[in-house]
Amino acid sequence: MAKLFVDQDKYADGEGTPIVAAFNSALKDLVRRKLDESGGNWNDFVFGKAYSLITADEIAKIERKVLDSGYRYTCSAMISIMERPDAYKPLPGTESGAAKFSFEHPAAQTAPADANGREQRGQGDNVVKYPSNIVGIARYYRSAEQVMQSLTQGVPPDTIAIIDDSGGTLTAPILEQFKGVICAGGTVRSHLGILTREYGIPCLMGAKISGIFEGDTVELEVSGQSKTTEAYQQGIEMTVRVWKHAAKK
Amino acid sequence: MPNNKLTYAQLLETNNIIQVLGEETYFLCVTRTVQESKLFPVSSYMLLSYLNAFYRYPTLLRKIEKHMPAEMIADRVRNMCSKIQSIGMGWCMIGFYLLGREMLINMGMIRPQDAAEDVAYVMNFWKRYQLAWHRNNGHITNKEAGHRSQILPERRIQVFHADMYACKDGDALHTAADKFLATVSQYAFLVACESRISMSNHGPYNLGDGREMLVRDFFDLAEGDLPWLDGVASDVPFNRLTVTTAVKDTHFYLVDDWGSFDSRPEYKSENMCGVGLYTSDELSETHTPVGMGSREELTETFDRYADIFKDATTKLWKRIASYTRNQMLDAGALTYYAIIKDLAHVAGCYEADDWMKFDERAERFRGLLNDEYGNELLGALVVPLTLPSHQCNEYTMMPHSNAPKHVHTPISYAILTGEDYVPSVGDGIRPGVTYLPPKADRYRTTQGVMTLAEFNQRCSNFTPQLCTEKFRHLDETWVKFNYKTPLADEMYQIEQQTSRKLAGKGAGLSRADVAALADKF
Repeated sequence: MAKLFVDQDKYADGEGTPIVAAFNSALKDLVRRKLDESGGNWNDFVFGKAYSLITADEIAKIERKVLDSGYRYTCSAMISIMERPDAYKPLPGTESGAAKFSFEHPAAQTAPADANGREQRGQGDNVVKYPSNIVGIARYYRSAEQVMQSLTQGVPPDTIAIIDDSGGTLTAPILEQFKGVICAGGTVRSHLGILTREYGIPCLMGAKISGIFEGDTVELEVSGQSKTTEAYQQGIEMTVRVWKHAAKK
Repeated sequence: MPNNKLTYAQLLETNNIIQVLGEETYFLCVTRTVQESKLFPVSSYMLLSYLNAFYRYPTLLRKIEKHMPAEMIADRVRNMCSKIQSIGMGWCMIGFYLLGREMLINMGMIRPQDAAEDVAYVMNFWKRYQLAWHRNNGHITNKEAGHRSQILPERRIQVFHADMYACKDGDALHTAADKFLATVSQYAFLVACESRISMSNHGPYNLGDGREMLVRDFFDLAEGDLPWLDGVASDVPFNRLTVTTAVKDTHFYLVDDWGSFDSRPEYKSENMCGVGLYTSDELSETHTPVGMGSREELTETFDRYADIFKDATTKLWKRIASYTRNQMLDAGALTYYAIIKDLAHVAGCYEADDWMKFDERAERFRGLLNDEYGNELLGALVVPLTLPSHQCNEYTMMPHSNAPKHVHTPISYAILTGEDYVPSVGDGIRPGVTYLPPKADRYRTTQGVMTLAEFNQRCSNFTPQLCTEKFRHLDETWVKFNYKTPLADEMYQIEQQTSRKLAGKGAGLSRADVAALADKF
């Protein structure tokens, strides 16, 4: 089979992560095969014959072959798993119903209830320091359907949204109605961090939480220091706490 | 077909740009965040955009330069709000193009020396544009300027300075401006499919007395180039808006080539002490005030526009939430790929098929771009640089990481001594594909809503007075030594025509004179 120019590389140490390695190696095999088919002249091939020989169908077969091996992809956008449920791993929590779901981060710092009945259930990076903490009701927002429902029915009062999307678009039409936000990803510079700052909505980014369920009363220590650029650059932890309040009897 | 048209000097310049861009890419990606989204397949659309950029930019840039050279386009853009500034040109244009090239090298689809003449041309176009756009500070990028983005000439800064309305935390104008900025920022993120490329900042400009001005630009807001805004943005009154902000007790120590800023102490809106609002585009002489007739009018304008953008956000969100994955992929990838489309508008040669479709050569890869491959490959391309092409000899210490890596592969000088290469991906645009509905022929400009043919025609026929040969090269150095001349006064008075405080004042004002005329911040 034809050898590619990049097959000889003094410093290369692999193709990268497994899925990248699988796809890129298969692509190189495809190029080798088609180069052979074309007669082996690279200069005629690269921006000429390759356009008709390396087709969308041939490239798509590479993705399907990985699926056929039993591998399932990790999804980011909900639309991806909605359209191809057989191609992606299930999203944790979506199958058991929101009421029974909670983010469970292994690095969440927890502590028994204090004298005020506040049980620490995690920590996060504070976007803006406010004069006092906020208390509200935890509600998970993880899909466009939930946002659409809130668009038509309204966001319940005192909602502290728990989101695993550090972007600013999933909750765009209802963000202004949140009392606070706990985001399980991103940094204070993520789009959601930027927008909550602009709206004046207390927010913790990169939150690591555990055992907070839909409807729990939670308190965010947003009176604590906000995380600085320098802290991110130097890898310094600078977090504030998330508490769950004891249920009222 | 060996083709040794490139000279040693051209290759040296090309490789310098490739190397510097790569190092800044690494810095920007390490100090910013990887952006995932539950709504958009972000990483996947970025990769598709990079491939489209690689295959189409060379041809489209050559087409644009048949109408207007890069440096003249930049001269026009310096005096207006346009997408082709810090983020669009400062980093994205060559960043996207080179990332597409690096993807294809690692797929075995091309060799580093293939398309060498395209690469050299794209880098050279970019350099000429950047030097002209940055003419007033003499740098090529914000990075080279110490992460500072001082673009405007004194005559424009003075108008912005003089015409801002003072505001303070809690008053009606401050509250309205805050709400507007939050709402338009959110809308801009949605318009740009979860990216920050519908907004950019430049500055800081020193207003004295502990005040700095940061100029905040928002673009592609109304019905125009982006098909997903047809209908939902019909009530948005301007396609581009500029918000001037004076901020006290805050130093913007970093304004980078992504148009983002950092400050010490951290930016707080309560420190905003002055604000103004403008629009502009290819058909306006310079920045036109919006709602600036009085403090009350500006307050009411901010409030009204916030409502308009909130309504447009809801409509747009509902539209996008109903999109298929391919449509979301298209919207995001076209937002990215077409970030330099305003080059074609300035030159008067914009065609929707050039900018709002995927070349069939790039489209071939769509089937690979599931979420996981998208995330993993994008990550590998910028941080932590795990692809074969990134690896260098073990003695190498890359800036920022000390790792033996680089972001982009240089072109080997061996092509000058006979190693063969294929100079170009090929001339001409190949057929395009999109899953989005056809673009409506409605383009909102500062001169009203018009068809694309009319928009192109008017762009071709219009030269702002300040960009005519009479004034174009009368730069800050010329002003320094000629400010008492009638010609200097005439130039400043053109800029001051719509100023509420400086109309007719001419070229002789100092910053203190302007501050004396302005509101007290």
